[in-house]
Amino acid sequence: MKKSAESGGGNDKIEAQHSKGKLTARERIALLLDEGSFVELDKYVMHRSDDPAIQKFFGDGAVTGFGAIAGRQVFVFSYDFTVLGGSLGEMTGKKIAKAMDHALKVGCPIIGIIDSGGARIQEGVASLDAYGDIFFRNAMASGVIPQITAGIGPCAGGAVYSPAMTDFVIMVENIGQMFVTGPEVVKEVLSQEVSFEELGGARAHATKSGVAHFVAKNEYDCFDKIKKLVSFLPQNNAEDPPIVETNDDPNRIDTNLVNILPENPYQQYDMKEIIKSIVDNADFFEVHELFAENIVVGFARMGGRTVGIVANQPMYLAGALDINSSTKTARFIRFCDSFNIPIVTLVDTPGYLPGTDQEHNGIIRHGSKLLFAYCEATVPKVTCIVGKAYGGAYIAMGSKNLKSDINYAWPTAEIAVLGPEAAITIIHRRDLKSSADAVARKKHLAKEYRDKFANPYIAAEKGTIDVVIDPAETRPFIIQALNALANKKESRPWKKHGNINL
Amino acid sequence: MSKKISSILIANRGEIAVRVIRACREMSIRSIAIYSDEDVRAMHVKMADEAYHIGTAAPAQSYLNMAKIVETANAAGADAIHPGYGFLSENENFPEMCEKKGIIFIGPTAKAMEVTGDKMKCKEVMNKAKVPTVPGSDGIIEDVEKAADVAHKAGYPVLLKSAFGGGGRGIRLANNEKQLRQEFEMASAESRAAFGKAALFVEKYLQRIRHIEFQLIRDSHGNSRHLFERECSIQRRHQKLIEMSPSPVVDQKTREGIGEIAVRAADAVDYLNAGTAEFLRDPEGNFYFIEINSRLQVEHPVTELVTGLDLVKLQIAVAQGEEIQFKQQDLEMNGCAIECRINAEDPFYEFAPSTGIVPNCNIPYGPGIRVDTYLYPGCNVSGYYDSLTAKLLAWGRNFEESRIRMRNALDEFTIEGINTTIPLYKTIMNDPNFIKGELSTDYLDRFKIFDKMNEQAKEEVRERALAAVAAVLLQSEFVKKAGATQTTTSRSNWKMRG
Amino acid sequence: MEFKVGDLAEMLEGEVLRTTENNSVLVRIAGKQHTLRLLKTGTNEFEFMLENTFHHAKILQSGSAEVKLMLDGQPITVKKHSKLTEVLEKSSALAGSGGGDRNLTSQIPGRVVNITAKAGAEVKKGDVIVVLESMKMQVAVKAHKDGSLKEIRVKQGASVARYDVLAIIE
Repeated sequence: MKKSAESGGGNDKIEAQHSKGKLTARERIALLLDEGSFVELDKYVMHRSDDPAIQKFFGDGAVTGFGAIAGRQVFVFSYDFTVLGGSLGEMTGKKIAKAMDHALKVGCPIIGIIDSGGARIQEGVASLDAYGDIFFRNAMASGVIPQITAGIGPCAGGAVYSPAMTDFVIMVENIGQMFVTGPEVVKEVLSQEVSFEELGGARAHATKSGVAHFVAKNEYDCFDKIKKLVSFLPQNNAEDPPIVETNDDPNRIDTNLVNILPENPYQQYDMKEIIKSIVDNADFFEVHELFAENIVVGFARMGGRTVGIVANQPMYLAGALDINSSTKTARFIRFCDSFNIPIVTLVDTPGYLPGTDQEHNGIIRHGSKLLFAYCEATVPKVTCIVGKAYGGAYIAMGSKNLKSDINYAWPTAEIAVLGPEAAITIIHRRDLKSSADAVARKKHLAKEYRDKFANPYIAAEKGTIDVVIDPAETRPFIIQALNALANKKESRPWKKHGNINL
Repeated sequence: MSKKISSILIANRGEIAVRVIRACREMSIRSIAIYSDEDVRAMHVKMADEAYHIGTAAPAQSYLNMAKIVETANAAGADAIHPGYGFLSENENFPEMCEKKGIIFIGPTAKAMEVTGDKMKCKEVMNKAKVPTVPGSDGIIEDVEKAADVAHKAGYPVLLKSAFGGGGRGIRLANNEKQLRQEFEMASAESRAAFGKAALFVEKYLQRIRHIEFQLIRDSHGNSRHLFERECSIQRRHQKLIEMSPSPVVDQKTREGIGEIAVRAADAVDYLNAGTAEFLRDPEGNFYFIEINSRLQVEHPVTELVTGLDLVKLQIAVAQGEEIQFKQQDLEMNGCAIECRINAEDPFYEFAPSTGIVPNCNIPYGPGIRVDTYLYPGCNVSGYYDSLTAKLLAWGRNFEESRIRMRNALDEFTIEGINTTIPLYKTIMNDPNFIKGELSTDYLDRFKIFDKMNEQAKEEVRERALAAVAAVLLQSEFVKKAGATQTTTSRSNWKMRG
Repeated sequence: MEFKVGDLAEMLEGEVLRTTENNSVLVRIAGKQHTLRLLKTGTNEFEFMLENTFHHAKILQSGSAEVKLMLDGQPITVKKHSKLTEVLEKSSALAGSGGGDRNLTSQIPGRVVNITAKAGAEVKKGDVIVVLESMKMQVAVKAHKDGSLKEIRVKQGASVARYDVLAIIE
């Protein structure tokens, strides 16, 4: 009986799954969890519908239970495509909800593997109610325990909202797809022809919609990435993230950083080089790598402690802030804040991206999210201004007055209301108009402006920058700041919750 | 006139810098090292008495920056500069500049370098001195008709070589006149691009040749000595991999005969200090002079092991104006020495360069083993410089003993973090053809050494499979335990919350 | 679990039976039981005795599919879950020329000294896209297939590691 319970929808269905190049629910759980640690719950649960069209299988549409990843407890549910196409019925929903409840009780992460045809039409409203149960728990668990979703198969219609509410979504290329309305309906209603992969595949969601935080090359890669992600996180919001010995000297200086910024301030460089230099063992786990590439966010360790890194990327859009980068970063910051992960910000941004596209799509609304998130966060916040920091973007990127704890700046930092070119066009408008050689005069004035206003010492005089540091020592300085802030406790006025502009 | 050298600036890096520093220490000479940004933590910097930063990583900004190096030498009060090998060691402007600035150059004179550096001029001088050279053009050829004429006289196949630039690059093969004309076009264009003019020469392509060279030392009093031969036939793309002394095909008579020719060659160019006369030997036993390398070579330790002499100290003595103390007949070859160049390249993958930090290494030692290296646990193997990380040498009373010692030392030599050519040498040490002494410059392809290497690797994997699986099983056990202990440190906050 | 060591054709079945007292672990590999005596433990580096032979292991990389380690100073790769890998290979075959095939990767570590192709251009297999320099050698990286050069992922002067993606060709 145990054997048949563990064969899901039957060997022929398992064959079918394998022939599509997909693993079964139990095989996936075996890859994800430590060997021998999985305890399956509700193995013999069957659906209660009387409809003869749908066969009864042990376990119904999902495999649920608990186990360990690198010795740390997690709960997991994995839709079983071999049972009625992994469709969600009443009992499947109850199994998954039970797993989520347990995870909440115990305070450990919950990981969901989606491979589902959607609601079980034959069970009618019971299916929809089952989704409601799951969505409610997603919302309750949000900010309490880490929730991770792996899309290794279809996920369509309303079902997609569960992954959307979880903290991180990872999709496997060519296998995972998510959309609210599928290609067939799109074709019918809009006469638009589009393939499954193009409409809602891993790449589409990782690059265009930002729904997917990670793209996995294959199922192995998917589980490796989940394990890596989990290793950075605490079990729940009351715990601190685990400290891992990394054998990377916290006092390591890197003289390469002194020359990493090109001579020409308009030339691009890769911010990730700086990130890799300052974190432990150059181990930077980037989140949302392909979405809003003008800002880089991700996890790393510094001095053995998990940190959330936020950094402008001058290689794209010159590091300017825009709608997508603002929302991407705001969500990341709020996640870190929920789970006691300190935030390290590296700044080099010329401002917000101008244009009607941004304005009419609401850069005002979305941009404010970033500011709100920084203000709200009570975890230790350390900011280091590496290059440009102009105007509103300077404020938004973890500035002192948003209650960032420690603010560093490199000597190359330029902090000003406007960039030199723009500023002098306004301030010296008359001067330039009447000047014989406007181009040369502009250049001269821009240099003057740079020397007088746009250097970090002005800000340091006011205490807005705590220390102007030698770039080579960025790592030791940040780690020292984090150590000093480790016990930080900050409170906010009591409220049910703020009204962040969504 | 002799000038006592009390300090030497070593204008080089890596293992040769370490080698020269050791000689300095033995002679109580102050050693001055230079380093680029890449070599801040390098061994030669740690070992020297003083070290000066010379520039950024790229060689042009650092180890090839002649002016800066001489300036640093003056500032540091160095009496002399040792150029090592590669970099500026065969640049005739270097000794010139040193002389102008009152620094002794430990090596040949600018004049001698000029002659030896110009292969055509050198060939002329050798022909006059009755030193046998490879049949081919007597001078630089700038015109394809002349090339065809010379090639026809010397006999196909022929090689087209650039008159400038050494180290075995830019050599083209032509099997017939048609090919010659094609290659000539391309080679002229390259030469013009690199050196400003199309200067090529044509040489008969000798097949199944052995590369045998003689170590030379000549002082400022006209005393020349040869320090016997080294066989360096095992090469890849004209880069030497293994060198040894004595050569299996050189008997005492030949040694004396060719040695004398080598000495004559050194005299003919009025050479000074250490150098090497390179010859090619065809299967009939004829030796043809190729060129004089006017520097201390990578493989000099091979000669040191079989003669008992310290070549670097000899170099310094000659530079000080001293006379060579021993006579040619005082020298005797003792035992056999083999050197393997441990390069940071992956022999299983087209010798792809391998760079990075070496977290750990185990350097072999024991009877007859010598290792010249700059490796130490935690050191950096840089992509800006050449791939030689270590020279592993084994000396034995006879070839067999040195071969076995080398084989065992290769087993002991482990370097983590980078790929090295060690597996290739392990295969060669066990290869029957190598044991028989069947060497030639096409050795690797001729005896399908790479196939053998891949086979051997498979065998080794089989032997280690059991332990490998055991290790992986253990690892997963640890991972499980490690995580479990983490959260039980103190009372969980989760439980304490309302 | 089944293990595939290096290039060996045969797979070895291995599992941990239990840990015994005095720091030993009982395992079964390829049907035979072995006692592993632990001498020094750590998460990534450890020493043990197997069949009276001393071994030192250092884990370089550990993933769901394979583990790369240094065993007694020599590198070796052990693949896990080989049966599952067979299944997964079907998926990349079904996907056709998706994913990995678009990537033009570097075979050597080095520095980008020249970018000879322009993003957006049509390229043919064998066209030189990027020139890398490493250990004084210049290596031209050529397009691995015909197509449209969608993106060049590296900049002049950038350092690349072996297997890094240099460009995307669709």
